[in-house]
Amino acid sequence: MKTAAFTKSYHRRLALSLPELELPKGQITAVLGPNGSGKSTFAKVLSGIEAADDKQPILTGVTVGYLPQKSFPFRMSTEKNILQNGKDPQRAAALMHALGIEGLAGQSAKRLSGGETARMALCRILMRPYDLLILDEPTAAMDMESTLAAEKLILESCREQGCALLLITHSISQAKRIADRALVLHSGGLVEQGPGEQVLYAPREEQTRRFLEFYGL
Amino acid sequence: MGSSIRKAIELILSADPELLNILATTAKVCLTSSVIALILGVPLGILYGAGRFPGRRVLLVLNRTLMGMPPVVCGLLFYLLFSGVGPFRHLHLLFTVPLMILAQVVLITPIVVGTMETFVADTAPALRETAKGLGFGPGKQFRLLVNECVYPIFSAYLLSFARAIAEVGAVAMVGGAIAWKTNVMTTAIMTYTNRGSFTLGIALGLILLSLSLLVNVVLSLLQRRFSQ
Repeated sequence: MKTAAFTKSYHRRLALSLPELELPKGQITAVLGPNGSGKSTFAKVLSGIEAADDKQPILTGVTVGYLPQKSFPFRMSTEKNILQNGKDPQRAAALMHALGIEGLAGQSAKRLSGGETARMALCRILMRPYDLLILDEPTAAMDMESTLAAEKLILESCREQGCALLLITHSISQAKRIADRALVLHSGGLVEQGPGEQVLYAPREEQTRRFLEFYGL
Repeated sequence: MGSSIRKAIELILSADPELLNILATTAKVCLTSSVIALILGVPLGILYGAGRFPGRRVLLVLNRTLMGMPPVVCGLLFYLLFSGVGPFRHLHLLFTVPLMILAQVVLITPIVVGTMETFVADTAPALRETAKGLGFGPGKQFRLLVNECVYPIFSAYLLSFARAIAEVGAVAMVGGAIAWKTNVMTTAIMTYTNRGSFTLGIALGLILLSLSLLVNVVLSLLQRRFSQ
């Protein structure tokens, strides 16, 4: 799957400028970069939530699922929230079990804690297959145990559904655990991209090296 | 003072016909106007809160101005429009219940719009981002947004009803406070107090306060119910 080159500006100030990118199916691509590097802007433009400067679609003919950083819990039970994105109660139960929230199925989603809401939101987005799935820091509000369970689920879903998965994360260790490829952004531009073992362990660019040193501590 | 309150309570308990007539007129005016305001105000509030269209900011400023409009100004406007020199004089609506309802609709619809707009403007962006991210179309996004609005709708209704029932300036001007015809609780309190007849005024005041208490209790219960 190939994305078109695009630019995105806010109030006439360039926030992101990216060339064509390859997003292989059945693989997880980690998008890394410091705050303000354009990671979330990339996710929003790619998912169609926000338009690129030229208003042209970045992807055509593909279904895109996007999980924002702060996913919204609808005013209904946890289970009904998940079933909004698919009518298979067995799959919903399996997903909730995988993330340890099966005991919260009947509870109002508005009463869930931050970590529980994040787990519910991940279950909800994984209810049906997309050609491209974009997850914006899906485990940021989770503890380590939930994070590892979520990573396992993300990996399994990506492999089973054969979707291209874009994982936006601050965590270099998370990228090392589950990403097949990595893409590093800095100040709204692409610094480096390639297989995970190359970008994350033997980066070619100085900026990537500095970023990995700083955030990998 | 003590004997007046005792007599007022006796008047309420004895189901005095004039008191019942005033209560019936009040209920007709306030319930009808608040329901109409809700029907008009909820879609407008959602549109102003969730929509992005040219002129939206101007409409919001206009609505906020109308929210603070003094009732007597509203009453004066309707009086001039429907009196013997006004453009709508041939409708013969001055000093009738329908014109009182119309004046109250103009007064309280902006409250419903404002309440809904504030809530929706706060909720819609996050909801829309999540729903669009899941691939939901505009229809499903709208249904989910309306589902979020249940508490604000109740809240807006109760606020508008409370404003309608406590309002005096507009209904006094366009209704004329005519006994057995257009006299509502607030105008009756004024009329009877001016005449020195405090018993009925106190009785109506007690009922008004009780209704206000009831509205606030219901609001608190709803707030607790929907915040869970």
